[in-house]
Amino acid sequence: MAKKSDISKTISRRSILKAGALGSVAMSAPMFYAKNAWAESAIGNYPIEGDTVMLGFNVPQTGAYADEGADELRAYKLAVTHLNNGGGMLDTFKPSKLTGSGILGKKVDYVVGDTQTKADAARTSARRMIERDKIIMLTGGSSSGIAIAQQYLASEMGIIFMAGLTHSNDTTGKDKRRYGFRHFFNAEMTGIALSPILAETYGKERRAFHLTADYSWGHTQYDAMKRGTEAQGWTTVNNLMTPVGAPDFSQYLTEVLSSDADILVLNHYGKDMVNSLSQAVEFGMRELQKNGKTMEIVVPLFSRLMAQGAGSSKIQGVLGTTNWNWSLQDEGSQAFVKAFEAEYGFPPSMAAHTCYCQTLLYANACEVAGTFYPPEVIKALEGFEFDGMGNGKTLYRAEDHQCFKDILVVKGKSPADKTGEFDLLELVGTTPRETVTYDASIFGGELGPYEPA
Amino acid sequence: MEYVVSILKKFPLTVFALVILTMPFWFPWIGGYGGLATKIMIWALFALGFDILLGFTGYLSFGHAIFFGVSAYATGLMFKHFSDEIIPAMIVAVIVGTLASVIIGYLTLKKSGIYFSILTLAFGEMLHSSALSTFGGFTGGENGLTLPDMIPSMLGIEMRGEVMFYMTAAVLILGYYIARRISDSPFGLILKAIKSNQERLEYTGIDVQKYKLGAFVISAIYASVAGSLMVVYEPYVGTEYLRWSTSGNLVLMSVMGGVGTLIGPIIGAAFMLYFENVLSVPLGEEWLLVLGLIFMAIVIFLPGGFTDGFKLIYKKLIGKKPDGEEK
Repeated sequence: MAKKSDISKTISRRSILKAGALGSVAMSAPMFYAKNAWAESAIGNYPIEGDTVMLGFNVPQTGAYADEGADELRAYKLAVTHLNNGGGMLDTFKPSKLTGSGILGKKVDYVVGDTQTKADAARTSARRMIERDKIIMLTGGSSSGIAIAQQYLASEMGIIFMAGLTHSNDTTGKDKRRYGFRHFFNAEMTGIALSPILAETYGKERRAFHLTADYSWGHTQYDAMKRGTEAQGWTTVNNLMTPVGAPDFSQYLTEVLSSDADILVLNHYGKDMVNSLSQAVEFGMRELQKNGKTMEIVVPLFSRLMAQGAGSSKIQGVLGTTNWNWSLQDEGSQAFVKAFEAEYGFPPSMAAHTCYCQTLLYANACEVAGTFYPPEVIKALEGFEFDGMGNGKTLYRAEDHQCFKDILVVKGKSPADKTGEFDLLELVGTTPRETVTYDASIFGGELGPYEPA
Repeated sequence: MEYVVSILKKFPLTVFALVILTMPFWFPWIGGYGGLATKIMIWALFALGFDILLGFTGYLSFGHAIFFGVSAYATGLMFKHFSDEIIPAMIVAVIVGTLASVIIGYLTLKKSGIYFSILTLAFGEMLHSSALSTFGGFTGGENGLTLPDMIPSMLGIEMRGEVMFYMTAAVLILGYYIARRISDSPFGLILKAIKSNQERLEYTGIDVQKYKLGAFVISAIYASVAGSLMVVYEPYVGTEYLRWSTSGNLVLMSVMGGVGTLIGPIIGAAFMLYFENVLSVPLGEEWLLVLGLIFMAIVIFLPGGFTDGFKLIYKKLIGKKPDGEEK
C-alpha cells in the first residue's frame, strides 16, 4: 500500500507539470470558443453566414407540459413552411413585408430542443442551439419560470427570445428583458377582462374562495383576480396555495365547503385545473346553495386542451379567459386553422397559435429592419401594430414588450350544444384592448440595454 | 493495445488531464460545443465527489443536491449582494455547503442502507420546498434566482467561454488528483473497509462514525464546489438544483459509469449530459425512453458500468484482465 502511494506521488508531480504545459498549448490554439460573438457589431449569432437562417424551437417534449409542447412544435413547423413557401397567415397578416420566400432572401431552417419542463434543462438546450447550431432567434417554453429562465439567457447571449405559452405577469413585468417578447396575454389582463363579466353574470354581492397553484404564475394570477373582483364589489374569503401537480384536492375543497364562500376561483392550469375542477364538481359544488345563491366555479385561464381534459359535462357554463380559440371566424384565424388541420387533421390549441404568430412576427421584424442585427430587429418589434392574426388590432408595447389585444372571455359549452369533439368553448364577450391596457411601470423591472454586456 | 493500457496505468493523471484539456479540439467533432464541455466538467466534479461517499463507503445518498443547490444559492446571493468576484463567493459557498453537510451528515449517518437514503432524500425535499415557499424572497422561488447583466470575474478576468472552461477543467483535474490520493491513503482504505464490513471494523476499535462523516463532508465539498461553479458558468440559480431529480441524476451517472472507480462516474456524467444534449436531438421526444433502455442494459449486462465494459473489451482483446499482472 505504502509503495503504491509513493509511486503515485512521483507520478503526480510530473504529470501536473505536463498538464500545465499542455494547458498553455491548448490555450494558444484556435478553438471553438473563439466565436465573433463579442466583437464590435457582432451580437449573438449575427452576422449570419450562408444562405440559411436558423431558428431554435425549445419546447417541452417531456414532462408536465409535453402535450402543449407537441402542439407548439407542430405550429412552429407550419410557420417555417409558410415562411419559405407562403400560405397560412401570410395572406392575412397586415402590415407585413413577408414574401413567402424565406426571411431577407435566406431560407428558414430550424432546430428543436427539449426543455423537459425544467428551467435548467431549458437553458442547457437553448445553449446548444445558440452555440452549436447558431440560431438567430430562440422561441418556445410552456410555464413561466422556464420562459423567464430562457429570456435571461437569451438576453445575455444577444439572441432574441420570442416567448411561447407564458401567462405570468413577471415575464413582461419584473423580469422583462430587452431581448424577450411576449405575444400571449397575461394574468393582469385576465383579471381586468374577466371581473366585470363575472360581476354581471353572478352579481356584485359575491364571496370568493381561491385555490392557487403555488408558483410564479399562480401567485400573479391570484393577485390580479383578487384586485379585479374586489373592485367589482366582491369579497375574497380566503386563498389556499396548492402544490403544482397535486393529484388530489379534496383537503382544499373541504375547506371551501366549510367556508361561507359562494364562488370558487381555480387559479390552476393544465392537469391541475382538470383535477381540481373535476373534484369540485364531484363534491357537488355546482348545485350547492350558499348565502341564498347557487355556488359557481371560475377558471381564469381557460384553454381548449384543458376543457377537453375535464369533459364538457363538467365545464359547461364555467367562465374564463383565453388567448385565442380555433372557432374564431376572422380571416387570420381561419387561414391558420385551415392550414393546421390540413397538415395534422385536428384544430390547433392556443399555445400553437401564439407560437405560430411569434415566429411570423419575428420574421416580419427582420424584413422591416432590413437586417438580422438584433438591436434593429428589436426596434422594429417595439411599438409594432398589426392585424390579421386572429386577435384583432394588436400592439407590441415598446415599454415592456407585451402584446396588447382584445381579450376573449369564454364559457364552457354544454354537451348538448357542442357540435364536435373540439367544440368546447363558447365566446361570451371580448374586452377591448383599451380596457385591459395597464400602466407599464406597475410591475417594476428594467428592459436593459440594446447591446448585451 | 497492451502498450496503450500500460501508459494508462502508469500515468493515469496525465492521460486524464490530456483528454480533458484537449476537449475543445475533439469535442466539436462529435457534435459537442463549448457550453456543454464546461457543464460536463462541473457535473463530473459533482459525480467524482459523490463516488467518495457511494463508491468507497457504500452509503447511497439521495440528497446530494442539497449541497450542490445550497452552494449555488450562496454563490448567487454573494454575486447579487456583494460583488461579481468569484473567489469570495466560492469560499462562502463552500463554507455554507460544508456546514450543511456536517449537520445533515451528523443526523443521517447513524442510519444505514435504505434508511440513510430516505433520510437524505427527505432533507433534500424539505430544502427544495422551503426554497420555493419560505425562502422564496431570497431564492426567487419558481422563477429562480436571476442575475441580470452580470458577468462573474476572477481578479478582473471575465469568467466565460474558454477562460471558464479551462478554470473548470483545472478544478476537475485537481479534484481527480485529490480523490486518487484519498483512494490510496489509509483513510481511503478505512472507507472501503466500511463498505465491506462495518461491524468488524468497529470491533477493531475504529470510530467508524467519524470516518463516515469525513467521507460525507468531503463529497459534499466536491458538490459545493460544483454547485458554485455552476453559477459562475451561468449566473442563474434554478430551484431544481435542490430537487431530488438532481440527486437522482447523480446516482444514475455513477451507476452507469461504474461505482467506486473514480473515473467511472466522470465518464457517466459526460455520457449522460452528452446524451441529453446531443444524442437526444435526432431521437426527438423518445430520447428518455432510449436512455432508460441503455440504463437497464447496463444494470443487467454490465453491473460495473462502463468501466466494467472497458475491462471486458480489454480481456477479449488481450486475454487477461488489465489488473491481472498486479497480483
